Amino acid sequence: MLMGIIAADPARTPLTLGGFRRGFLAALPFLFSNGISGIVIGVAYRGLGLDLPMAALFSIAVYSGTAQAVILGMWPTTPSLVAMMLACVATNARYLFMGAHLRHLFDAVPRRRMLPILYFLADASWFMTVAEAEAGRRSPAYLLGCSVPMVTGWVGGTVLGYLLPMKPQGALAVAATFLPLGFIVTLLPTQWRGGRSWLPWSASAVVSIVVAIKLDSTWSMLVGGLAGTAISVARNDAY
Amino acid sequence: MPTERDTLLIICVLGCVSYSLRAGGYIAASLFPANGIWARILKLAPGNLFVAFTAVGLWHSGWPVLAGSLCSLVIMKLTQREWAALGVGFAVVALADLATRSLPSG
Repeated sequence: MLMGIIAADPARTPLTLGGFRRGFLAALPFLFSNGISGIVIGVAYRGLGLDLPMAALFSIAVYSGTAQAVILGMWPTTPSLVAMMLACVATNARYLFMGAHLRHLFDAVPRRRMLPILYFLADASWFMTVAEAEAGRRSPAYLLGCSVPMVTGWVGGTVLGYLLPMKPQGALAVAATFLPLGFIVTLLPTQWRGGRSWLPWSASAVVSIVVAIKLDSTWSMLVGGLAGTAISVARNDAY
Repeated sequence: MPTERDTLLIICVLGCVSYSLRAGGYIAASLFPANGIWARILKLAPGNLFVAFTAVGLWHSGWPVLAGSLCSLVIMKLTQREWAALGVGFAVVALADLATRSLPSG
């Protein structure tokens, strides 16, 4: 399937094997970090009483650490499907903007090639692909290459965590929950646009924390992020 | 607890929602003019959303995760290697959490 996406029409769509290889090698460490986080979610799914195929399917179909963690918290109370969908939208709304951003980077790539690749879009692969594009190497194959170790780590970790005789407690479990946040923190400076980023970033941080405290954590990221974006747009900031 | 059939339904629906968000932004962006206000919002939003995500995550996670995040940032700045930054951050969070547990309570 991967080769089918990469192969045809290289002149128009820079879906090259070289780009794929670069992305794959650059993202290899995420095989480990996503694997560790996946183990934690796998242990938690076993604790909830899900069977192994369901646990694996959850990580394959949703493929989002934050959304899966939020849903996990809702599971024992058996909330409605609508509540879970809303939580999923709130936690994953950033993908809407990340996907839109990629459209401007890869406007020459036909949809039939980009849409399957977007299935694997994740925070870290987006950061790495945008940084690569800003270095003058725009390549959706790089995004796909990044995604392979990340998906493999996440799903493989889920299965491994389900099978291992572990409990979701202790210092290592806490450290594993740090990893999804940790790679965003690590890669966030690639989005820094100099002194003009101070005000919108501060507004995003403050508003999101206030909303999390006063209203609801699930929607706080979206509200905070949009507050910062509103400032950037009002000031006519260039991307 | 949901039944197995309900679980399968929930997973499928949430999978569709997740993919719709990933692909929806890409498709929607093609409907807006490249220099219009919506295009600018879509371009400027990701960085701010990640900042908000990080701020709330750190707020809820406690000082071990904050310490690990700061160490990851410093190591990334020094080495430009994600694996090194994440590895050090992971170790710092684990050690800080162990230190917190070993402190006498009360």
